[in-house]
Amino acid sequence: MEAAQASDRGQIERLRQQIRKLQAAPRSYLATLRTGIHLLDELLPANGLQLGQAFELWGEAASGRSSLAFRALAAATREHRLGAFVDGPGELYPPAAAAMGIDLARLLIVRPKAPGKLVWTAVQLARSGAFACVVLDLTHTGVRLTIADGKKLSDAAFQGGSCLLLLTPPDAPGEGMTRLRVSARGLEGLRVEVMRSRQGAVGSWVLIPWPELPPGEAPVYRYVERPESNEPRGDDAPSERVRRIKMSWQRDGHGIARSRPGRDVALPELGSSLGL
Amino acid sequence: MRLLYLHLPRFPLQRRAIETPSVAGKAVAFIEEVKGQRKVAFASAAAQAAGIRPGMTLAAATALVPSLRHFPYQPRAEGEALLALGECLLCVVPQFQVSVPDGLWLDASAAALCQGEEGLCKRVLEICASQGFRAAAALASQAFTARALARHGSKPVQIIASCESAGALCSLPLAALGESAPSTVAALGSLGLTTLGEVASLPVGAVAARMGAAGLYVHRLCRGEDDTAFVATALPEVLEEGIDLDWPAESLEPLLFALKTLLDRLCARLSGRRKAAVRLTLTIKLDPTGEAKVGLVLARPCARPKLLLDLTRHRIADLSLPHPIARLQIRVDESCDEPGNQLALGDHPEGDSSLEVVLSRLSTALGEQSLFAAEVKPSHRPENAYVPQPFRPPARDGGLVAGTRGRLAPTPPELDPALAERPARIFPRPASLEVDLDPQGELVCARFLGKRRKATAIAGPERLCGEWWGEDAYHRDYYRVHFEGFGPTWIYRDTRDGQFYLQGMFD
Repeated sequence: MEAAQASDRGQIERLRQQIRKLQAAPRSYLATLRTGIHLLDELLPANGLQLGQAFELWGEAASGRSSLAFRALAAATREHRLGAFVDGPGELYPPAAAAMGIDLARLLIVRPKAPGKLVWTAVQLARSGAFACVVLDLTHTGVRLTIADGKKLSDAAFQGGSCLLLLTPPDAPGEGMTRLRVSARGLEGLRVEVMRSRQGAVGSWVLIPWPELPPGEAPVYRYVERPESNEPRGDDAPSERVRRIKMSWQRDGHGIARSRPGRDVALPELGSSLGL
Repeated sequence: MRLLYLHLPRFPLQRRAIETPSVAGKAVAFIEEVKGQRKVAFASAAAQAAGIRPGMTLAAATALVPSLRHFPYQPRAEGEALLALGECLLCVVPQFQVSVPDGLWLDASAAALCQGEEGLCKRVLEICASQGFRAAAALASQAFTARALARHGSKPVQIIASCESAGALCSLPLAALGESAPSTVAALGSLGLTTLGEVASLPVGAVAARMGAAGLYVHRLCRGEDDTAFVATALPEVLEEGIDLDWPAESLEPLLFALKTLLDRLCARLSGRRKAAVRLTLTIKLDPTGEAKVGLVLARPCARPKLLLDLTRHRIADLSLPHPIARLQIRVDESCDEPGNQLALGDHPEGDSSLEVVLSRLSTALGEQSLFAAEVKPSHRPENAYVPQPFRPPARDGGLVAGTRGRLAPTPPELDPALAERPARIFPRPASLEVDLDPQGELVCARFLGKRRKATAIAGPERLCGEWWGEDAYHRDYYRVHFEGFGPTWIYRDTRDGQFYLQGMFD
């Protein structure tokens, strides 16, 4: 009986030690989402995107804004937190998001049918506190944020402790939050400039090369390098010829020798193979 | 078989007091129609103190207490309410039998799981109290013994061993025989017998000779011998709860009070069945006519009344109705098994309820299809490379390990390296491009977004083709193209029609 009691006491003491160890274990408290793009992180006043704040990525549809948002979402999911993408235009391509390091199981994609519900949805998600990073894509939606909308979004991010990222087109900028202007600079990369910020660094900018956008080793593209012409845009006259120096590589899912026996190439005659 | 009888004194009155708190403590009676006369079926304690008794006509009762509030007695509704209470108790008992009008027989064979029979009785009474009901319980091997002791015993909990039934019954009054054999009971009373023990002490032969089979049956009951079979009540397929409002409601507050009662009951029934609701319908009946239906779709199965009340309040807060609300009815349209959730040391019982609330709210407001998580599929056709899945994020590290760095995370599945070359956004329908080609057939410029743009750099092609065996074959040469004044785009030439299409943008 006494032996059993001693064994129980030993077991309880071991469990106590385990609990003490767990309580003393170092914790990670997420306060800033570091995108992993050093140039961008250094540009931002807090060396990253702060939780509890709203940021606006303002630029064209092909300027690299989504990739920057993906890196922020990837940083959140890497910390076992949840991310949400309110996909206004319905153009988000999740495989590309996965390739940027996002754990798709932790990414909620919301596609409201009514554009009027976009801001409301983002407010609900950010205010809930369940998501570390919420992205609201307003590109190609025709939604223009009012000052009241901007205030709602900022307040929701503050209340929920989420990082709210807005992807806004050039013709519909947001209001009342840190604005980063993102623009493509040909083959060089994308330029990110701080247009508005309460924490300083307004007017500073960086040029992020395209290969630095994806995490890890970026795919190599071999382009024709050709300076942009001085012709006015919209000119309907045909431009000079573009010469392709080298194609990158080919993936051919077309079968053996890029042919479909029986359709692209005639099938061998049965008689000749039989020696008739 | 050990049986537990749960007696709910004046059950219809208790139920009314829960639904309409304003009648609690007042003189209230339930009226039934007997041979064309309206008679009191149940009277509250205040009414009984004023002299109103069951069986009295309504006219006489009203003469005694002019302010008497009376309601029609509906045996069917009371039976359904008892059945609902029985379902709530299924979390501690495997089956039950309804005993109209104010009791339940419960199968006590799983008492060992509640620390014995006494523990089971206490647990049952706790559940009843949580529902707002006052009750007494008796556990015995015979149905009659359990019922008689629960209804007429002096203690709220009584446990009777199988061989002690006769002894336990001997002090009970003749009224404990109740509706077993009314004429025989009356005859026994006329003989001067007052307790069951006195009846049990009569010689069997004499009782049989004077009172026949009915007397013999009563005699056996008094001796603690009852072989009445336990017949478990079948559960209804549809889970539905309703409540009539005391007064037609025009504001949110009384509505929410009624909703809370309703959802408490519904969730208790769901928990009893080990189920969780997935889809519910709230029917709001208006006074005098009309009704409105509100659908409630839950992103995560749920049987928690607080969460459901929060979601329902959100849904009905903006509802505008032409008339006041007279009745609320809620039905579970779809449910699933609820295996339960084991909390870790240091976990908060509410869990990640904020996530559930926001998911349910969005799902309700935007539609179920609008929320999803994506899963990558091995498909060369870009638009088929993922499928939407219900959003079920992995559970967070709970308890003391939350936030620690030494977590064991499962290795993420390896992705196809080709996905790194896919654009961040693709269009639901590729846009046909008006292009200029050089004599070699290579792209020079294209017109899109209202402008003719010169291609300044091209990488490609990446040929994607397949499904040639079907009607939906594709054969495309993809190019990553930088247009003048624009970022990289993803266009392809469909080799079947020779046209160029803009499919995505490397945003």
